[in-house]
Amino acid sequence: MTDAVGTHTGTETALRQAEAGPAAGPPREVAFTPAFSCRGVGVGFGAKTVLEGVDLDIAPGTVTALVGPTGCGKTTFLRTLNRLNDRVPGFRRSGTISLVGEDLYDRHMDPLVVRRRVGMLFQRPNPFPLSIHENVIAGVKAHRLAPRSELRSITERSLREVGLWEAVADRLGSSPFRLSGGQQQLLCLARALAVRPDVLLLDEPTSSLDPVSTEAVEDLLRSLVPGLTIVIVTHNLAQARRLADRTVFFHGGRMVETGETAELFENPQQEETRNYVSGRFG
Amino acid sequence: MTVPVASPGRPVPPAPDGRGPSGPRWDAAPGVIRPRHDTEGMVRWGTRLAALLPGAALVGLAVALLIEALPAIRGNGFGFFTRTTWDPGNFYNPPVVVNGVARPDGASYGAFPLIVGTLASSTIAMVIAVPVAFGTAMIVVHKLPRRLSNTVGMLLEMLAGIPSVVFGLWAALTLGPFLAHHVSPFISRTMPDVPVLRFFKGPVGSGEGLLTSGLVLAVMVVPIIASTTRDLLRQVPRGTQEGAVALGMTDLEVVRSVSIPWVRTGVIGACVLGLGRALGETMAVAMASGTVLGTVPRNVYSTFGSMAGVIVSQLDSALTDATGFAVETLAYLGLVLLAMSLLANIGARLLVRRASTTALPVGRGI
Ligand SMILES: Nc1ncnc2c1ncn2[C@@H]1O[C@H](COP(=O)(O)OP(=O)(O)OP(=O)(O)O)[C@@H](O)[C@H]1O
Ligand SMILES: [Mg+2]
Repeated sequence: MTDAVGTHTGTETALRQAEAGPAAGPPREVAFTPAFSCRGVGVGFGAKTVLEGVDLDIAPGTVTALVGPTGCGKTTFLRTLNRLNDRVPGFRRSGTISLVGEDLYDRHMDPLVVRRRVGMLFQRPNPFPLSIHENVIAGVKAHRLAPRSELRSITERSLREVGLWEAVADRLGSSPFRLSGGQQQLLCLARALAVRPDVLLLDEPTSSLDPVSTEAVEDLLRSLVPGLTIVIVTHNLAQARRLADRTVFFHGGRMVETGETAELFENPQQEETRNYVSGRFG
Repeated sequence: MTVPVASPGRPVPPAPDGRGPSGPRWDAAPGVIRPRHDTEGMVRWGTRLAALLPGAALVGLAVALLIEALPAIRGNGFGFFTRTTWDPGNFYNPPVVVNGVARPDGASYGAFPLIVGTLASSTIAMVIAVPVAFGTAMIVVHKLPRRLSNTVGMLLEMLAGIPSVVFGLWAALTLGPFLAHHVSPFISRTMPDVPVLRFFKGPVGSGEGLLTSGLVLAVMVVPIIASTTRDLLRQVPRGTQEGAVALGMTDLEVVRSVSIPWVRTGVIGACVLGLGRALGETMAVAMASGTVLGTVPRNVYSTFGSMAGVIVSQLDSALTDATGFAVETLAYLGLVLLAMSLLANIGARLLVRRASTTALPVGRGI
């Protein structure tokens, strides 16, 4: 499953370096080009400032969890990483973000290409009103990543990857809206993985799923690294502990603290982080 | 919201239908409120009646028309659909009896040119109106700022409410002559002599005809389709559209894989409404077509008669036919028009059923 790597040489090198590193968590010092590197990132909508002064490096081939109380700007930050906010009226941004060494917001960066390289899974499953098969290959077709003859096999491979193949193999041509919520979310994951992204952003992907489906999705996500870089927003601190190599704590539009997950939870450096992880607010 | 709480010492009575207490009812003194089943029965019968009403109206209308048209159906036979003549006959000679039905001497009716004219003008209208309406709705929903979008929506609804006679005047006095002098000659000259496009060649006439009628019908149909499509497009969930954007799709691809599938069935329904309007539109077409009888239009500039237009323009003189055959024939024509509208509707429904194999999670308009 490690072939879930994009065709971008920069990323590939970085990922190979990552894979070569010790399996027990990435090193504290980032020795390779980060998947994302944020310097003094500020985001606002119109007169409202949502994020300020975010400095953050996200190592390739790792799982990073973003946690923090509601309204602190996690979703906004995530949507800035795949340029989804570009379309929001009044969106403004300062500081720099680079995607594997390239300026994400450079004039010559095509947002469509960015979004292919940086996939996203939303809080609520959002399948397209097309057949299951067409859902999976929608991105592949839009980016013309494969000839028509290969689309069927891409569907099968992607659905197998997320463990949905057995359940839907006999109804690929029918509506995705008859699937259960968890199955719909897996379908959306298959759709996101089908275009072979380098990074996957997940915004509370399991908040509408039952514990069993949640565990399935978590196992799946773990199996995708280090071929894939994962950034996941979650309100479920236990999930962050289970899943993430590093955890980032946001509060009030600022990045308060970041560290290895165990470290951040056992031994938070900041007062706010300590309060949050011990359940005293948020 | 405040939840009503029973006063202490007074137990909450169970709701009579077991659906649980609701509203202030269980705090009121007994007898103040009418027993519930009474009103529910009324509501039930009222809704049943209301549900039957449209069907009853449709059947009643069709039957009344059929009874009125029966002599004409017998007298004209099926040749009615293939003949091109429209001759009320000579009212001063003694009537003759054909197929057991009395008619003026020499009377002969054929609806073929009218059916062709009606279908052709409606086709022109739909070919123009559907893409224009969809484009308008897309722009209103996705490209215009909210305030402007509401204004445009209001203008669309106003356009839909303009009396058709005003459109007819505009077509006859302004649009028709303009086309005949400045547009049609150019189209007629430049169109290649190939099938379909051949109908755009030939003499351009003076402005009354199929093209003018089709255009004015398009202007009347666009608001119907556009306003429904706009409402449907507004219902497309943001999250689904963003999912497509997040996959790296262009705006056009988002429209193709999310918006259109989402609104398709509803838009087809709106198009049928529009087609029904175009087929049945009377005044504007009567004024813009030239209302000629007995000739099949030969190109898109030809004058023609529409079924609805002929019914309204011929009714007065038909009433002077002492045998009643002329009026019965107009009723026959009306019946054919009714059948055409119903067929269009049923056809669209079948189309909708085919198109909606991908069931949506929510019901949509129409
Ligand atoms: N388009 C927008 N225009 C104006 N303000 C916005 C917009 N989007 C988000 N905000 C504001 O930005 C702040 C952060 O929102 P965001 O959705 O990023 O929070 P979050 O951390 O994801 O919260 P939650 O945990 O509840 O999902 C909120 O105060 C919100 O009102
Ligand atoms: Mg959020």
